[in-house]
Amino acid sequence: MSSLLIQTPLPHGGRLVERVIRDKEAAKKMIKGCPSYDIKPTLHYETGVPVRNVYREIMSICYGFFSPVEGSMKQAEVERILKERRLLNDWIFPYPLVFDISKEDYKKLGVGAGDRLVLNLKGKPFAILDIEEVWEIDNPEELAHKTFGTPKDNPEVVKEPFDKKHPGWVIYRSLQPIVLAGKYTIINEPKFRPPFDRFWFPPRKCREEFSKRGWRTAIAHQTRNVPHVGHEFLMKNAAYTGDVEPCHGILVNAIIGVKRRGDYPDEAIVEGQEAVSTGGYIKPERRFVSICLWDMRYGNPLESLLHGIIRQNMGCTHHMFGRDHAAVGEYYDKWATQILWTKGIPSYGFPAPPTDVPYGLTIRPQNMREFSYCPTCKEMAYSESCGHKREKLSGSFLRGMVAEGVQPPAIIMRPEVYKVIVKWWKHFGYPFCNEKYVINKEKELEVDLEDL
Amino acid sequence: MAHFIVVLLDDNRMAKLSGSGLEDKIKYMFGGELRCLEVEVPEEISKKILATFDTARIDSRGAITDVPVAFLRELFNQIAEKKSLGPEVLEAVLAKADEIKEAAAKESEYLPPPDIEV
Repeated sequence: MSSLLIQTPLPHGGRLVERVIRDKEAAKKMIKGCPSYDIKPTLHYETGVPVRNVYREIMSICYGFFSPVEGSMKQAEVERILKERRLLNDWIFPYPLVFDISKEDYKKLGVGAGDRLVLNLKGKPFAILDIEEVWEIDNPEELAHKTFGTPKDNPEVVKEPFDKKHPGWVIYRSLQPIVLAGKYTIINEPKFRPPFDRFWFPPRKCREEFSKRGWRTAIAHQTRNVPHVGHEFLMKNAAYTGDVEPCHGILVNAIIGVKRRGDYPDEAIVEGQEAVSTGGYIKPERRFVSICLWDMRYGNPLESLLHGIIRQNMGCTHHMFGRDHAAVGEYYDKWATQILWTKGIPSYGFPAPPTDVPYGLTIRPQNMREFSYCPTCKEMAYSESCGHKREKLSGSFLRGMVAEGVQPPAIIMRPEVYKVIVKWWKHFGYPFCNEKYVINKEKELEVDLEDL
Repeated sequence: MAHFIVVLLDDNRMAKLSGSGLEDKIKYMFGGELRCLEVEVPEEISKKILATFDTARIDSRGAITDVPVAFLRELFNQIAEKKSLGPEVLEAVLAKADEIKEAAAKESEYLPPPDIEV
């Protein structure tokens, strides 16, 4: 019997990366006499709008969400990722992660391999970067193309060439040319501002929470959206997977990062997700909401790989994947993520699913199709079960309804969730992210820092 | 591929459509809890809408969404005025793109929230 039970997985790479110094005196000693640099947002290469802040990557690396990655990548590691989606230590990983600065800043800093650089955030010391290598990105456009693929090189899943309408492609296209590669260590722990503070469950804390709740198996739900009832049904039904019993819990993990105009504010997303549980639609004992800092790359199958890594590191045994997972536009096949997790994508370096390759993942995929409203069944129905013509739910359609001031029917959005949207609408004067919200968010970020 | 735009109908809009001959085009969604019209959008016009309004996107149903509220209001006005769901109503809306963008710029700063207790 016990051999049938799925155990909490080891972190990706075998051990959880934790690079956070909590002793302030020790931290002060570590940075004494070191040059410092104020972290700057990555700005869109054409419009100058913020598209990424590397602080989010530093947080996710140092708290272990991206284990076994420990820092900004060396050139050889980036090249290997672009070719095989593997780190130099062989573990699979989807994206290059680098600390990039301008040539002018590099010249001013005068640092090189072997130097320690203090990274300031909001004017306060935040982390250190122990530089092991300095290298140059010759052609950011080529890097962007290689990161996501092309219809020619990745014909299994890439349908359209990536371009400046793709926010992830823009991030890589907008990188500064000089990369300082080396390990990061946080030396001054940021404090999350409400409401984000109560959703902060970095991997060690998340695993402890599972254990406290008696969860041996947990299924992850990726989100960057206020939930509608279709999402709720996906979660409820995906959780029926497990081993001899359904998954003990559902971990909602919201990706918090740079926003696009028209998205819901992050505050409404996390509290809207929470409202599904506090409203009793899925018992709070069986589900909780957490966050991970990351500026989404919208890489569909590649993003799903990162999501698998993040949630395995958080202790999840299963991950649900739906249509157009973490996608934008029509660049990818809408089932690209499920293709990766079911058959593999050889051109990305996966001749088999990420769970069946050496140095791969152990988190199990739960591929799902769609829930939509069936007027004949008079309920939310699963596309693979219901034989009637159904009415599809769409987040964008709901956004339009909200913007016009029409409360969505409870059958498609729970009133508790709608109230959360209106709560933050009243706060920001607008139900979605507008230019003001996007600019303020990137100025204020999600955290504050104390003096060291 | 042709897309479509959903125009939601509340009681006020229903009254304006009375006698337009469009009543039998009204669709009832989600167990009758929502009334709407669907305007078919030819591909050329879809492209124009996406290029003109940068928040506009095509959702999983093939519907064009996230256009400014001012766009949707004007679309309904044109439907009611022309008593039609044909491409001419979309062309009339696009002819007012500058006006709509101006209104959209204001509505992207502030939209009055619904008066409900939170």
